[in-house]
Amino acid sequence: MIKAESLCRQYGNQFAVQNLSFEVKRGEVMGLLGPNGAGKSTTMKMLTCFLPPSSGDAMIDGLSLSQSIQVRRLVGYLPEHAPSYHDLDVEAYLQFTGKMHGLSQATRQDKIAEMSRACGLEQVMFRRIEELSKGYRQRVGLAASMLHNPQCLILDEPTTGLDPNQIIEIRHLIRHLGEHKTVLLSSHILPEVEAVCDRMMIIDKGELQALGTSAELSKQAQAGVRLHTQIQGNGSKVLARLKAELPELEVVTESALERGGLQCELYHPDVACALAEKLFHAAVAETSVLLEIRQEQASLEDVFRELTGEKS
Amino acid sequence: MSAMIALCQKEWRISLDTPQGYVVSIAFLLASGFFFGSNLFLSGQAEMRGWFAVLPMLFIFFIPAMTMRLLADELHDGTYELLATMPTRTIDIVLGKYLSLLGHITFLLALTLLYPLTLMLLGNVDMGVVMASYLAAWLLAASFSAICLYASSVTSHAMIAYIVGLILLLVIFLISQLSPTLTPYLQDVVAMIGPMNHYHQMLRGMVSLSDFMLFVCLTVCFLALSWFELERRRWR
Repeated sequence: MIKAESLCRQYGNQFAVQNLSFEVKRGEVMGLLGPNGAGKSTTMKMLTCFLPPSSGDAMIDGLSLSQSIQVRRLVGYLPEHAPSYHDLDVEAYLQFTGKMHGLSQATRQDKIAEMSRACGLEQVMFRRIEELSKGYRQRVGLAASMLHNPQCLILDEPTTGLDPNQIIEIRHLIRHLGEHKTVLLSSHILPEVEAVCDRMMIIDKGELQALGTSAELSKQAQAGVRLHTQIQGNGSKVLARLKAELPELEVVTESALERGGLQCELYHPDVACALAEKLFHAAVAETSVLLEIRQEQASLEDVFRELTGEKS
Repeated sequence: MSAMIALCQKEWRISLDTPQGYVVSIAFLLASGFFFGSNLFLSGQAEMRGWFAVLPMLFIFFIPAMTMRLLADELHDGTYELLATMPTRTIDIVLGKYLSLLGHITFLLALTLLYPLTLMLLGNVDMGVVMASYLAAWLLAASFSAICLYASSVTSHAMIAYIVGLILLLVIFLISQLSPTLTPYLQDVVAMIGPMNHYHQMLRGMVSLSDFMLFVCLTVCFLALSWFELERRRWR
């Protein structure tokens, strides 16, 4: 549905987005992650035809960004901070948006009723947007972006500034929409992306760092295996046997258990070394008991920090 | 086309429905009423020449105030991003804004038609001259509006848009005022392209195609500049 091919955008001499290529499939919810100033908003502005790319192109449902007017009909966009006309009431604002998209009077009425229900706006339809709370403004923006029934929704930080209840509501709404539409949303709140998105990509300094499901990304970030284990019996002998077998093994932490035995964290740089199995066999050979054996998963947060942190 | 009308309706609604719109309208009508009344009662003459002579000054102060937020606020509040990502062309945005502004000014000028109607009760008014003068005033206001719309497109701060608009209009006004001190060649140039000179010509009751075309050209030029300015922002 969305296919970016080496998108670039320059501001003066500086690259805001550099050689960005990715694909979002139809009906998928894709998260765009990155620290502040990574180029998330610029990417979205290019995909919505607000900023022309310096080079490269993207296809939206097979249409190139240069066919700007047709592309804009397919895309619903919620910019960061959900801007809207504060002097209008919600109803007038939605009417205006509908007219701008060229919807007929009847469709407009239907869609406004449908969207205000979906976004929970029925109570505030005739209040001026100025008087609404941040959460409601966000919902008004979301309703307006979906009024023309776009195939593809591009949401720039849809949940910033909302309270936890509202965040959960908006999340449900996006999840629900994602069943029918293609959604690309940006965020720097990691649990949110994990909860809402099918796949995610991480960009930093305008370049793509990683793309995949959260499990794939965790695996990708994790170099080597990390095991937590508790050995009852002769722990040090078990470890010595294991070390003989795997010379690159590293014992990260080691402490004695109260009731005798050993608690330790093991690390081996090669994922395919079958560390857990070898540990088990070593314990059997030494007639010791393994009380605990747990493989550590890198959390999305670790992945994010690893990929976007200052590289020393 | 439908987008242009929608935008025009929205601006029209804001200009009548919100304090920032109607305070300017009321102030304009009060000021214009004051100048009309002072001419009528102080000099005791049932004519409008004096009022039409000060009208450009009112335009110079009030039109930038009516125009300043039209594009600058859109740029400032980020709503321009919404407009520009809807299936509309930039020229529709400029024209929609301009038409609502023109409607607003036409509405205010139409309200001042009460003055000639009052004068008709008091004495003989040359309606031909008054109508030509109204046409001149309307054309002048239309071109001033386009100039101020351009001023509003170059900045995202309404206050700066006001000052830029005011300065542009004052320059146009003062060049005509100062033209007698210029060299004969420059005087001819100012007489040819100075909107104020053409305005004064039309106040005599004479409407020529050259006067008309000058105002139209000026309007088109500044609308094109506003369009260009908005397009340019996307490439920066």
